[in-house]
Amino acid sequence: MSIESLILPLLIVIPLIGAVATLFMGGEKQKYAKWVAGVFSGITLIVTLYMMYAGFEDWTVFTVGYDWIDTSSVHIGFDLMVDGLSVLMIFLTALLTLLVVVFSSAESDRANYFHTLLMAMEVGLMGVFMAADYFLFYVMWEVTLIPMYFLISWYGGPRRHYAAIKFFIYTHVASLVMLIGIFAMGWECMAVTGTMDFGFDTMAEIMPATSQAFQVAVFALLFFGFMVKMPSVPFHTWLPDAHVEAPTAGSVILAGVMLKMGSYGIIRICLECFPEGAAYWQWVIIAIGLISMVYGAYACIAQTDLKKMVAFSSISHMGMVMVGIGCLSDIGITFAIFQMFAHGLISAMLFMVCGFTGHAVGTREMPLLGGLAGRMPIYATFMMIAFMASLGLPGLVGFWGEFPLVYGFYEFIKAEGVMWLLVFCLLTLMLTAGYYIWAMQKTLFGPETKKIDLEHVHDISKPEFVALAVLAVLVALFGVWPDAALSFIDPYVDFLVGVL
Amino acid sequence: MFVEEIFGDYAAFAPIIIMLISALILPAVHFAGKRHTVTWAVALVFAVVSMAVNAYMLVDGFTGTTLGVYEYDAYTGVMLLLFQIVLFLAILVSNASTETTRLHVGAYYALLTGATTGMMFVAGSSDLLTIFVGVELTSISSYALVTMKRNDSRAAEAGVKYVIVGGLSTALTIYGISMIYGLTGTTDIAAIAASTAIDGMNWILAIGLVCMVAGYGFKIAAVPFHMWAPDVYEGASSPVSLFLATGSKKMGLSVFFQIFLVLFVAGSSLSAICGEEVQYLFAIIAAFTMTVGNVVAIAQNNIKRMLAYSSIAQAGYILIVMAVMTDYALASGMFHMFTHVFMKGGAFLIVGALICAGLGEKISDYKGLAKRSPFLAAAMLLFLFSLAGIPPLAGFTSKFFLFSSALGGVDGLTSQWVWLAFIAILNSAISLYYYARVVKAMYIEKGESTEKIKIPAVFTVAIVICVVFVIVLGVYPQLIFDYCETAAAALLL
Repeated sequence: MSIESLILPLLIVIPLIGAVATLFMGGEKQKYAKWVAGVFSGITLIVTLYMMYAGFEDWTVFTVGYDWIDTSSVHIGFDLMVDGLSVLMIFLTALLTLLVVVFSSAESDRANYFHTLLMAMEVGLMGVFMAADYFLFYVMWEVTLIPMYFLISWYGGPRRHYAAIKFFIYTHVASLVMLIGIFAMGWECMAVTGTMDFGFDTMAEIMPATSQAFQVAVFALLFFGFMVKMPSVPFHTWLPDAHVEAPTAGSVILAGVMLKMGSYGIIRICLECFPEGAAYWQWVIIAIGLISMVYGAYACIAQTDLKKMVAFSSISHMGMVMVGIGCLSDIGITFAIFQMFAHGLISAMLFMVCGFTGHAVGTREMPLLGGLAGRMPIYATFMMIAFMASLGLPGLVGFWGEFPLVYGFYEFIKAEGVMWLLVFCLLTLMLTAGYYIWAMQKTLFGPETKKIDLEHVHDISKPEFVALAVLAVLVALFGVWPDAALSFIDPYVDFLVGVL
Repeated sequence: MFVEEIFGDYAAFAPIIIMLISALILPAVHFAGKRHTVTWAVALVFAVVSMAVNAYMLVDGFTGTTLGVYEYDAYTGVMLLLFQIVLFLAILVSNASTETTRLHVGAYYALLTGATTGMMFVAGSSDLLTIFVGVELTSISSYALVTMKRNDSRAAEAGVKYVIVGGLSTALTIYGISMIYGLTGTTDIAAIAASTAIDGMNWILAIGLVCMVAGYGFKIAAVPFHMWAPDVYEGASSPVSLFLATGSKKMGLSVFFQIFLVLFVAGSSLSAICGEEVQYLFAIIAAFTMTVGNVVAIAQNNIKRMLAYSSIAQAGYILIVMAVMTDYALASGMFHMFTHVFMKGGAFLIVGALICAGLGEKISDYKGLAKRSPFLAAAMLLFLFSLAGIPPLAGFTSKFFLFSSALGGVDGLTSQWVWLAFIAILNSAISLYYYARVVKAMYIEKGESTEKIKIPAVFTVAIVICVVFVIVLGVYPQLIFDYCETAAAALLL
């Protein structure tokens, strides 16, 4: 067994050990839980970095598999894979889990369970992005739900029970619809090969050859499941609730990685397996993307809660990803994937900053805030970096997520002769710049607020600084050197465009 | 094989003979010693021996017929194993449970064993009348078991309801059987399926089939014949509720498989006449059963009643098999029956254990359980999430197989039952809501008392067994699914 074939299972096993270890650190020992979680998520990140550095066959595909369930009618494998699409998501998962553990090191209420949930979350997310079997994929997809449910309902804000159950039911129903699509694929596979083989590779061979009606129907079922997760208007309402009530750590993972599960699924499964379905639904995808983009940005303007505003901006940015995917073109998909990565870094920063506002100042309501820059200069700097990156300032990573994506969309609509659709993109960019700059003005600058007591506010602590600084460096690094990420994405998109 | 050496021509009957001996000597053992623990131990030993013999026969691939009426094959073996597991769990905790009668201990264990004998007899029968006799043996034993929780008016009410409804269902069933017998001149199921006496749809056939569906529908508490189930499960002692919800309901489902699947298996002369209609009849019953079970469960405050309605819903899921009628569906239905034994059985065990510890049956009594007993709360969480179908637990894996069967025909994808799969999946989502309520009460809400809970050791053992199987069957379903596939092939030859 070569070392390479061990890496992928390790990425699941290491956080799993971390989760089990912290689970049993109750009582006096719970103050060490964060160190254990930090060590295990750190090792996971190191393994991930080694994997990215070593590279496998030019980032086409690397798989490792074991038979799991193998009866006369069903074949299910414990198959893992990594390629140019998933490697960045895996990196995000490993990075953000570690940073969240660092950022939340002050958490003292049932600290061991808190870290168990974070590590369990990492297991599920790693599994989703590495699974190469539909059964395994679905299992991991659902495994991510439970830790998030408890993170929100144990460590969340005042309306946490409502938000947690809403989150759970929305995404659970959506994934059940997706499950029906997976069943249909299984039986189609049965008709062709004689067994239900849920492996990605088998399905990727069989599915593109199926009839158009089948592709259209199954694409819709799967797409629905992914779309709710992204989330897209009109199934987005769980997200603002979940974010507002979730603890900072939960929000960071939720926005940074979990939302990407949706767009990852669309690209990995819907596009790879059902090219004809994708062509049939192309305009629906674009319409949903455009509506989410504009509606999300528009809703941001109306928010007074800083965190809720950032939540809606996530909807807007994920709408942009959807538009990029909808172009079904090389440039569109490339930068949709890049935007997923960029948004992962930026939204993590955004939610850390907002979460910090909540517990340092005592409120996140913008009308109550003002002039914080004077008392909290470091915090203000990070907030400005995050906001600027998110609105797409050139030189930061957000720019590369947005500008080429809009260009790809422009190329597409020009070919289709519907240039007026560009209005939506411009409107979104304008609104985005508007709400961020406005929010900065209201919270950071101007005269110091008299509405709340600012005597005891303090600037960010050391661990929080470390987490935010790492993200800020990455945001700037990928901003000037986007090729570092694009070199992973390119080979994959070349392959995908060949399928479409 | 040693079973043949000992039992000779009666080898196919061996697990049942052991059970019968047990049922007959248990009252005597009790009268001789008047020691509860001794009677309990004897009952347990017989149950284990019978299970071991059956497991050996199943793994060995034994087939045989005794007296021309009882046929042991892979299907029989798998069903027997299921009933024996249920019996084992029920007996294991009966002695420690404070709900169990202290007066008629011998009779109690004899009735439990006798009821199981009836179920086991059903599983090997291929004749309408022998199936009927087996079902009656189980039913009559169960009536007495329910009322054995004396000094509780709810138990008396449950018993009376159970007897009346059971009597009605018996009458309907035997009436239906007589119609079919009148039409074909035989009660052998395979012979009826191949009978040439039926040359088209007529009223006698319709009445006969509908009466049988209704009669056995009562046994599995299919909607609209489900009203008795919540009252009975609530009134009976927890070990008996466990036995009824996981055991005797599975017998009813097995009856459906053995009668209707065999009668209407593709290619039989009956299936050409009204196969499609019967499939739709079952599909509608399945859809209503799961929907009513889940929706009504939301409104329950008593945990036993909630579990009862969730059992009704689970039976609805399994009835998908009757609509789809394929090998794969049958195998996955049987697999779901197994996982259901452990997850629902485990939930009833926890309820029973907490009653022994002095806790009430209301969901609000479970507030703060995670603090008072982390083990029980975690186990209950596993069972409930498994029932709701959250991976990687057993309930998810079996639902994955079962629901996927609704989309498949004999050779690949069919769209005929897609709607049924959708209803099942929607129901699965609804069920999550009321299971989550219990989880919320246990883990999130604060209870009035923070006193630690101590439960009898055997309950811990039984619950651990269930936890282990809920996890093992979730990640390694082949342990049982392989046998289910063989069994399905054996029944639908």
